[in-house]
Parts: sequence; structure tokens; C-alpha cells
Amino acid sequence: MSATEVATKTGAVSVQNVRKFYQRDSMQIKVLDGLNLEVPQGEFLALMGPSGSGKTTLLNLIAGIDRATSGRVVVAGTELGPLSEGELAKWRSRNVGFIFQFYNLIPVLNALENVELPLLLSPLSKRERRERAMTALRIVGLADRSKHYPRQLSGGQEQRVAIARAVVTDPTVLVADEPTGDLDAQSAEEILDLMQTFNQEFGKTIVMVTHDPRAAARAHVQRHLDKGVLTN
Amino acid sequence: MKFAPLILKHLRRNWFRTLSTVLAMAVCIFLICTLQTVVDAVNYGLHLGNASHLVTRHYVSLVFNLPNSYKNKIAAIPGVQNTTIVNWFGGMYRGDMKYFFPNMAVEPEAFLQIYPEIMLPEDQKQAWFHDGRGCIVGRKLAEKWSWKVGDHFQLESFIPPYRVGKPFDFIVDGIYDTDTVKYPGTDLSAMYFNYKYLYEATGQRAGIGTLTLLIDDPKNAGRISKAIDAEFENSDVQTKTETEQAFRASFIAMAGNLALLLNGIGLAVAFTILLVTANTMSIAVRERQQEIGVLKTLGFPSGLVMALILIEALLLGLMGGALGLILAGGAIHALPNVPFIGDVVRQFPGLGLSPKIVTYGLGAALLLGLLAGLVPALLAYRARITEVLRQV
Repeated sequence: MSATEVATKTGAVSVQNVRKFYQRDSMQIKVLDGLNLEVPQGEFLALMGPSGSGKTTLLNLIAGIDRATSGRVVVAGTELGPLSEGELAKWRSRNVGFIFQFYNLIPVLNALENVELPLLLSPLSKRERRERAMTALRIVGLADRSKHYPRQLSGGQEQRVAIARAVVTDPTVLVADEPTGDLDAQSAEEILDLMQTFNQEFGKTIVMVTHDPRAAARAHVQRHLDKGVLTN
Repeated sequence: MKFAPLILKHLRRNWFRTLSTVLAMAVCIFLICTLQTVVDAVNYGLHLGNASHLVTRHYVSLVFNLPNSYKNKIAAIPGVQNTTIVNWFGGMYRGDMKYFFPNMAVEPEAFLQIYPEIMLPEDQKQAWFHDGRGCIVGRKLAEKWSWKVGDHFQLESFIPPYRVGKPFDFIVDGIYDTDTVKYPGTDLSAMYFNYKYLYEATGQRAGIGTLTLLIDDPKNAGRISKAIDAEFENSDVQTKTETEQAFRASFIAMAGNLALLLNGIGLAVAFTILLVTANTMSIAVRERQQEIGVLKTLGFPSGLVMALILIEALLLGLMGGALGLILAGGAIHALPNVPFIGDVVRQFPGLGLSPKIVTYGLGAALLLGLLAGLVPALLAYRARITEVLRQV
């Protein structure tokens, strides 16, 4: 049974009774407190809430870049808690695409090379990697900018390249942390259009953290987080 | 190989920093390799000294001469088979130090008997023996100045007792060669002339700078040396007698300590460059915290991220090492032509970058790169994604 099949049965994301504490000197800071969340396959979920409510922490747990203090996190059919750092890295490369607020493209690489970056971890040949990266750039409408470096692109274009990088490995889940937070209104709309396309046409499950109600309105479901607890 | 573009583009990212780091490494490797080559050459040259040769000189310093009367007394000591005066003349060609070449006043017949490596046709030998102003020059020196047998030239010494108000005239009586296989250390860029000429031209004020002795058996070197020095122990001018190897060692600034000094300089430079490079690498990696976080988020294992930084550091080391070796090769090639230094350096046979030194230099460069990259690479290895991305 493939990971996707398991995900269809159990939901793409399952967060069960998760607690997350941070230790700051002698103080223990509670960020998530017994949180439960189910995200079915193909859903577009917006996580909202005030700063410090634990949105990004929850997103990091789902993306497998942070670990819960207790509880279970199952994403794309894999329980992340028991995985070693190496296994978790490998899992991330295959199952999750991450979209950052500030794009986080590698400045020394051009658009095509940035998109190709996650594929370097796959056994694909150089030609196959280039073809896939070009396809992803074509989908986000930037095939003609493949040789441009991040500094030569606008914010909206940079974020589109970042989205192409996130989807190029065909992950089950896309996680986005304030993807429109650094963009003007028009670019933000274009990015949200693109995310909707990936959700509706390619069936990607999307978990998006946002402060922007207009962005949240594009999602199927909006959940609010406050002081580490989901309030709706 | 598929990560090569990523590494190379990072090196090109801040080309000035990369260039300055490579140059710093290059200077370090250049110094280490050049110094080590000279040390090796000195050591090699020392071992070439004939074990049957002893050198007697003034006890205090080479600056002072021994009385001429000492020659016969030393020659009479049991075990001494032959002697020749060898005085450093310090003659300048065309009155300019930049044309300087080693030139010594010797006793022709004894000199050629003691040094069979100086090979001359018989007729040239005889001409030299009977020509007061005659001299012999090495093949390389003759070729350099296009001298032929019978040519005349002048030298003027910079040593005060040998400055007689006018230059010394010389006639080329012979051009000597050697058997480079049998006598690999023979200097073919030197000139030798008759001590009698010096003695007479200076109004019989010239003394013995050094007296080279041929002894019957190298095993007797210690006994004969002691006997010679004991002979003059209670005189006004005491002597110091040592093997030719030891004499060369003391002549070349105490070569034993020279190696220690040069290696010390090399190590100090290497350590300084290591600190500078490590700091530069740390800054470069600290500036890339965000990228390291992104790579890890994309699924790059920590070990791979660490390896990429280490390879980058090793590449810096390799480039610095290669450039340093090229510079060292050039410097060593040019060294014999440098005024003053060249005259000393030319005494060293086979001066050049040996495969051993090249391996040593590249190894040192890679080690420097590795050490410089180790701490930044470890920091990258241990960097937690959530922490480095939060700092952005």
C-alpha cells in the first residue's frame, strides 16, 4: 500500500493530541496544548490566528522540520515521531513542499536551478531533472525566466519560482507559511490563484498559515488557533 | 558531481572573498614549499661535502685570515695528504654586484688534486699552472658571458684588504666541466684563480681565508682536526678545523638551525592563514544560514550539507595550494638569478620543486582547507531548521 493510499484512508494530515513546549532558560513555554487536527486528502486548509498562537509551530510539525513534545503527527501515511533525522529529511524530500513567506530562493542559483534543487536528492538524470524543473516553471508561468536569478525577479515571480520548487517533486502535501505576506495585492492574488490550481487540478493537499482574510477565503476550510488551541 | 554547480556558484558568489582566501592560502603554500625546497637543497648540499676534506679557518670568524705560515705546519700534521688555500675573493664583475659570481683564490695544482670534480683538458691545466693572472671558469659561467679560452676580464673585490686601487685582470686559461653523475653538487658557475696573484697584488698582505685539506682516511677526521687545532691552541691566532660538510653547514648560516627557523616560519604562517581562512569560512557560512535552513527543509540530510561546505573549503585549499605551488615553482626557478641570493642558491644542486614538496604542499593546502571548513561545517550540520529560519 503506497503512502498516498494510506493518506486517502486516514487523511493527508492527522495531528493527534499534540503538545509542543519550548525551553527558554529555566522557563518552559507551552506553544501547542493537546491539539487535534485532521486534514483530508485534497483539502485546502487555512490556519489563522494572532501572532504567537502556534500557527507556524503547527505548520513546522506537519512539514516534519520540528518535532512534537508529545502526541502523534501522521502526514502522508507516515508517523513522523519515530523517524530519525535522516529518515525525516528523506521523507520531507518526497512528501512535502514548503512555501516560505520570504521565498527563500538560493541567490546564486537561477530560477531553473532553484527549482531543480530538490530533485538533486532523487536518482533522476540531469536531463530528467531539467525537464521536470522546466515543466514546473511552465506551470507557474515562468518558463521564459528560467535563466533569471532571484535578484532579477519581482517578489511575485520569486514566490512563483518557490512554488515551482515546492511542487517539482510531486509531494502529497504543500505547506505554506504566509505565502502572500510579502507581496502586493495583485501578486498575492496570482499566488493564491496558483495555489488553488495546484489544489484543484493536481489534487495537492495544502495547509496554509495566513493573517490575510482574503487569502484565507480561498481555502476550503479556515481554522483559528489561539494560545496553542484550535478554537473552531 | 551533481552538486558541483551549487558549490562552484557559492565560491563565485563573493569572488573577492574567495580570491583573497585563495591568495592567502597560496602565500602560505608558496612560503612553505619555497622554504622547504631551500632547506632540502641545503641538506642535500651538505651531504655532498667530501668526507676526506677538512677545512681549517680562523677560530673566531671567517672574516679573519690565518697567517700564511700555518700552511706548512698544518701540512706536516700526520694524516694530511694535501692542502690548498681557498680564499673568497668577493670580486665584482663590471663593478656591479648584480653581475656577481663566486670567485676564489686557490693554489691551482693542489686545488685540482683535492677536487677531482673540477675537470679540465691537460693543456688548459698546464696553462693555468704557469699563468700568474690565469683563471678557470665553470662551463655555465663561460656560457653566460660568452667567454672563451684566452679572453680577458676584470674583477674588483668588495673585501677591503683585496681592494688595491684598481681591478684585477684575469685571463681565461680554462673552462672546467664535471661529471654530474659522479659529482652532482659541483658548481659550474664559479671562477678560480691563483692565490699567488692575490698575495702579490695585495703587497703580500693576503692571508689564508680557509685551508682545505685532503686527509688519508675520513675515519681520522676527528683526530686530525683536534691535532691541528691543538697545534695553534696557545698561539695568537687559533684555528677551527672541521669537516667540509660541517664547514658548509656553518657557512650557510648554521644550516641545522636554518631548517628549524624556516620550518618555524612556515608553521607560523600556516597557522595564521588557518585562523584567517577559518574566520572567513565561518563568516561565509554564517551568511548562508538561511540557505542551510532551506536545503535542510528541502530534505538535504545534515551530513550532505556538512559535506558541501567541507568540499567548498577543500576546493579553496586546492586552488590556493595549486597557485602557491605555481608561485613557488616560479620563485625557485628565478632564485638563482636574484643578485646575492642567487650566488648562494646556485651552490645547491638540484634546486627545484620535487614531487615530495608538491605532495607536501598540496597536502598542507588540503589540510588547511579542511581545518578551516571543519567548524563552519559542523555548525551547519548541527543547525536546527526552525532556529536558522527564524533568524531570517
